[in-house]
Amino acid sequence: MNSLLARARAIPSWQITLAVALLVLGFLIAAQLSAEGPRVRYTTQERSPLVESAQSLQSQQDALKARILELRNQIGAMESQGPGSGDSLKALYASLEQARIGAGLIGLTGPGIVFRLEDSSQPGAGSDSLVSAQDLRVLVQELWLGGAEAVSINDERVTVSTAVLDIGGSVLVNSAYLAPPYKVTAIGPGDLYPRLQASISFREFVTDRVEHHGLGLAVAQRDAVDVPAFAGTVAIRFGQPAASPGATP
Amino acid sequence: MTSATRGRGRTRREQLTIAAVAAILGILVIGQLRGQAAVPGLSTLSTQELTLVIANLNTRNEQLRTEIAGLEQQAASLQSARANGQTTVDQLDGDLARIQAWSGAIGLTGPGISISVRGAIGGDGIEEVLNELRNSGAEAIAVADVRVVPGVVVAGAPGALSIENTPLGDVFEIRAIGSPEILVGTLTRAGGVIAQIGATYPDARLSVTPLETVALPASTRNLIPGDGQPRL
Repeated sequence: MNSLLARARAIPSWQITLAVALLVLGFLIAAQLSAEGPRVRYTTQERSPLVESAQSLQSQQDALKARILELRNQIGAMESQGPGSGDSLKALYASLEQARIGAGLIGLTGPGIVFRLEDSSQPGAGSDSLVSAQDLRVLVQELWLGGAEAVSINDERVTVSTAVLDIGGSVLVNSAYLAPPYKVTAIGPGDLYPRLQASISFREFVTDRVEHHGLGLAVAQRDAVDVPAFAGTVAIRFGQPAASPGATP
Repeated sequence: MTSATRGRGRTRREQLTIAAVAAILGILVIGQLRGQAAVPGLSTLSTQELTLVIANLNTRNEQLRTEIAGLEQQAASLQSARANGQTTVDQLDGDLARIQAWSGAIGLTGPGISISVRGAIGGDGIEEVLNELRNSGAEAIAVADVRVVPGVVVAGAPGALSIENTPLGDVFEIRAIGSPEILVGTLTRAGGVIAQIGATYPDARLSVTPLETVALPASTRNLIPGDGQPRL
């Protein structure tokens, strides 16, 4: 025992430092490799212009959405200070604002929950270990069934026209490309999360996708969460609206 | 060579070795942190998927530009009305009807399709159809005369489907307003959503019919939030 201690003391300190550094190095290399996960990275040269085009279009989309929100705010402000002071006109402006709130064209704040859903960190797992559009749709449906009144995925408001689609290992929401991790935010009653926990289908989702396939799911209940406004089009090309009850006679 | 010189040489080698290891360590730490911070992004997509993303982005951007043009016109009209002391009631009425019809607050009539659903199918299958309809540009959807708006979900196991706490029964109809050609084409294409449902629910029968006129009711839900407050 004494001889062992004596031999240990005889090891130069630089060797110990080097050993620790190499251990950390090994750990980092392992972490780096496992972080590659099951998502395939393509590196062929012909893809480069496509990636640049997609990035450029996504930047344009962000700018267009910002412009839409700016114009809607500007219009709302002008309407609230409108030239007409008649009661019927005031009622019309009020109806417009209510219609925009109901349509999701105005951001909301209120009590709610935020889910963070991400791919499995288990090395070597297959495509089931990636968050799919189906996972997000199920989570959103569970939130609606639990009584949520406004939901967003990352910064995309879920509206009457929202489709959630798979694209490779990521998703398109409102035709915007979203990459994991996904943040699903919902405004709803104070007991929204307990309601979800009581739902058999939500528990099945957690068991199957989170526990079985290792997806990461974190939840935070908050007194106030923000759900952004829908920054897309509300154009109707084919349908004719029925008479609006809020319209002026 | 004296022992002191040998000692100094060894110390320098040791320091150089530790410095080299520390440098590699630093590069790896930075790589790890950057890798965690960056979104996986477009590098994970194949050429075919990238083409699809670009097509979607192009379509959406065109829609957004049209929306901006309409909003700019609306803002200019309001500005002009303010300057002249006039009101633009007709335009406001039109905007109100459009937003209410889009959101489901009022009914909508137009060309579209009807999907007759028979046989055992789960709520997830119907939700797949609704998702595909939205993706194909459907402007309004109703399931068994219940307008589909945020919060409305078709749920339940095969044989026990319900919508808004109302059982759907074994046979029911989904109706949607939009381009009949596009809606029929997207739903019924080879490998499309109906084909996929056929594989998952072999007893389910979904038949799609284009219609010149579809009249969809308003939602019976109160679309105005009670828990959330507008961020004006």
